[in-house]
This record gives sequence, C-alpha cells and structure tokens, in this order.
Amino acid sequence: MSGLALTFTLIFVFITVLVSMRQKLGLEKDIMIGTIRAAVQLLLVGYVLQFVFRTENLFLIIFIIVMMIAVAAWNAGQRGSGLRGIRWRIALSIGATEALIMLLLLGLGIIEPASQYIIPISGMSIGNAMVVAGLFLNGMKQDVLASKGEIEALLALGANARQAIQQCLKRAVKASMIPTIDGMKTVGIVQLPGMMTGMIIAGADPLEAVRYQILIVFAFTSSAAVTSIILGLLSYRLWFTKELQLRLQDSR
Amino acid sequence: MSILKFDHLSKRLQGSSENQPLFSNVSAVIDEPERIALLAPSGQGKSTLLRILSLLDCADEGDILLNNVSFREWQPLHWRMKAMYVAQQAVMLPGSVEDNLRIASRLHRTVFDNDYARKLMADVGLHELDWCKPSADLSGGEKQRVALVRSLLLYPDLLLLDEITASLDPHSKVAVEVMLAELHEKQGTTYIWVTHDLEQARSVSNRVWFMGEGTLLEDAPTGEFFRSPQSEAARRFLSLADREEGEKCQA
Ligand SMILES: Nc1ncnc2c1ncn2[C@@H]1O[C@H](COP(=O)(O)OP(=O)(O)OP(=O)(O)O)[C@@H](O)[C@H]1O
Ligand SMILES: [Mg+2]
Repeated sequence: MSGLALTFTLIFVFITVLVSMRQKLGLEKDIMIGTIRAAVQLLLVGYVLQFVFRTENLFLIIFIIVMMIAVAAWNAGQRGSGLRGIRWRIALSIGATEALIMLLLLGLGIIEPASQYIIPISGMSIGNAMVVAGLFLNGMKQDVLASKGEIEALLALGANARQAIQQCLKRAVKASMIPTIDGMKTVGIVQLPGMMTGMIIAGADPLEAVRYQILIVFAFTSSAAVTSIILGLLSYRLWFTKELQLRLQDSR
Repeated sequence: MSILKFDHLSKRLQGSSENQPLFSNVSAVIDEPERIALLAPSGQGKSTLLRILSLLDCADEGDILLNNVSFREWQPLHWRMKAMYVAQQAVMLPGSVEDNLRIASRLHRTVFDNDYARKLMADVGLHELDWCKPSADLSGGEKQRVALVRSLLLYPDLLLLDEITASLDPHSKVAVEVMLAELHEKQGTTYIWVTHDLEQARSVSNRVWFMGEGTLLEDAPTGEFFRSPQSEAARRFLSLADREEGEKCQA
C-alpha cells in the first residue's frame, strides 16, 4: 500500500469525527487521541519488527516478549485492583503460559525458530492470556462476593483458604475459558480472524493462512486454561487476610 | 487454666465515622465449662462479638486467649475447629444433606462417624429427614439444625451459637436445648448462646452476659441477673421484654 493510499484512510477518522459532532457525542478529542496513538504505535511496531526480523537477535526477541508480558500484566491487573501483588502473579502466569506454548511449538518443530513466527504468535497468545486473566479476576471478584456466606461457613468449619475458595476458583476458571471455547466453535463462520485476513490480504494462500489460524486457535484454548489455572493457584490466598478472613473488594 | 479469656476487645465498624465504636472494653473469662446466654438489644454487636471470638472477624484492639494461648499464636483454622461459630443465617453448602454433614470430615480428612451423625440428627428432631435431599430444598428451620449438627460433628470445645433456634417450632426448640444441655453435661462443652428469647435464656444458661452502652455491661449468674439486674440498661431491657410478653399473652 502506498503512502498516499494510507493517508486517504484518514477519511474514516473524518467520518467518525463528523458523526460525533453532529450527534453531539463529545468524542472528538478521544477520537483524535486514539487516531494519533494507533498510527504512531502501529508504525513504531512496524519499524521495530522490521529491525528485529533483520537482526534476528535472541536477546532482542526475549526482551520484546518480556515487554509484552509486562504490559499485558499491568493491563489485566487493573481488574484485580485491591489485591496486593496481583500484577506480578499475572505476569508469572502469562509468562509460564507463553513459555509452555513456545516450548511446544518450537520443540515439536511446528513453527520455525524465527522471529517472524515467534513474535506475532507470542503477541497473540499473550494478548489472549491477558483477556483470560482479566476475565478470571472479574469472575472471582463477583463470585467471591456472591459466595461470601458459603466461604465463611467453610471457614467456620475450619477450612483452609484453598478449601474455602475452591468452588469459586473452579467457577471463575470456567467462566474465563468460555469465550475462548465459544470462539473456537464459530471461528471462520461468524468472524474471520484478523491474522488470517491479514495474511490473505498480504497475498498468502488462503489454505496456508488457515493452517496458521488453526494453530493459533488451538494454542489459545490451552493458553486460556493454563493461564487461569496458574493465576488461580498463585492468587487464591490474596482473597484472605493473614488471619484467614475473607477480604472483600467492594469497598475499594 | 481458662477455657476462653478476652481482654479489652473493641470493634469499630468499617465505613462509619471513627468516633463511635460498636463496642469497646469488652472483657470476660471462662474458667470451667459453662452455659452462657449472651443478651442484648438488636444491633449491639452480639453476632460481631461471636464472630470475633471465632476469628471470623478481627477486633481492633484487645487479646483473646483460648486454652491460655493468644489467638496470635494459633492457626486460625485450628482455633475455629475448637471455638465453633454457628451462624445466625444458616448457609447450606451445595449438595445434599449428607454432603453437608460430611463436610467436616472431608475438610479434615477424618473418618465420618455415621452413628454419631444419626444420633445428633435424631436429637434435633430430624430423624426422618432424607439425607439425599438437596440441601437447598430444606426449610429454614431444617437448615439451622443441619448446620448445627454439621458443626457438632467436629466435637468443638466451645460453641458460639447465634440465635440458632430463631426459626424453630417450640418442640424442636426444646429438642435442641436438651441436646446442648446433654453435650455440656457429658462432654463438658461450653457454649455462648445469643438469644432474644428470655425464657430460653433463663433455662439454658447458668451465666448471663448482657451487652449495652457499647460494652459488656453485666456478667452475672443467670438467677441473679434476672432477679436484680445492676444496670439501668439491663432493667429497661428486661422490663420491655416483660411488657411484650404480657401483651402477647393478652392477645
Ligand atoms: N460487615 C459489616 N459492615 C458494616 N457494619 C456491620 C457489619 N456487620 C455488622 N455491622 C453493623 O454492626 C452492628 C451490630 O451488628 P450485629 O450483627 O453484631 O448485631 P447483633 O447484636 O447480632 O444484632 P441482632 O440481634 O439483630 O442479630 C449493626 O449496626 C450492623 O449494621
Ligand atoms: Mg446477630
């Protein structure tokens, strides 16, 4: 795509601003900020990727992946505000998931050990893990509040933290996985995945694009499961005080 | 050696203005197995005190000792198995009646004493209850009794009973009273029983704690408390209750 063509895409921004102004939505400022940020971020990423693909430096690849995990953890951690130390726990669970997926993909020779494959696939799987972690924390928050009576009944009977919160954990893990599993059922029919679409537009053979998409979809399901289970194990104690009393989040 | 001792407990409510604590300076000692009735007008913090005594809630100040050891040195879950709180609102755990009865042995990996469970269920008047019934389908009074039996299966030394007969018919109420008296007699179980039923308080206790004016205002043998309450608040509490009783009889 030429630079001129790219500039023309600003027409879409223009339309949005117009709608916002006519309908008095008051979104003009946000649209402008969003437009600039999207353009700058994406262009920057393009240059970074170009540089990484050319140099193929292992440390650079690792650095980028660590950055992605950090940003994802920080983002998902906003769902768990009030839980102290939740962010590094999210980072750890997403990191473990990423490590597992890369180990399998590279170890079994499913993808070639080149940054061209490693980085986009990592990005997508970390992004998915971030969404799953956010869903898990949200689910826990609501479930713990709703099951307060049950949890306290168990505590009164001398249950430990794990036993008292087991049912909530189970339900939250399940709830966090459902969107990924549902997505797997409808993929290709209801929505064409962005990655596949992108590959096809860039000129790849649709069948080749579909193969990578299948890889991504399968990897996502296991990454969803692994992320929320690890996060559950790392974080369940945070719902209790050190005196083993339920800590409720609603006040903060 | 004392069974339970607490010293200068105070509790401020979360979110309320700081100046007025719910209660403060609450102290008492239980030296030998006793039957205590905890009385107070609604909202004085009876449930809160019981929850603090079972470490389900924390006091802002003060110390609690169980068997002469401060709560700071206990594992909360070991403490709770000895000082068992039976809640005002009985919460059934998912599953059947039997699942609920077995919960304690499942949590602590002990053998489930079927005979003892059957005996306790019969004692509280639930010998005919089907153990396979989903616990969610039980009536309020049945839930309260199942919750009580579920707790008793842990053989607690100290029972913190929060209005556990509030939704029972007179007959089952007496059954529960008799059973708890027997537990006290035979196993030396101590209980602290919150109740709004003065007739019940009189018959199930040998000692009364009365909470008022933001503290534990009176601590006296049952007979003495009902005959000659020391504080103005207690006198008012008893006379008000008497009047209500009279009105009920007239109606
Ligand atoms: N978690 C809580 N957060 C804020 N306030 C609370 C909380 N629990 C109890 N309270 C308040 O503390 C006060 C005492 O409550 P508590 O349940 O201990 O009273 P009670 O003496 O048991 O009353 P009742 O006889 O009606 O059961 C009440 O005013 C109640 O609103
Ligand atoms: Mg109460």
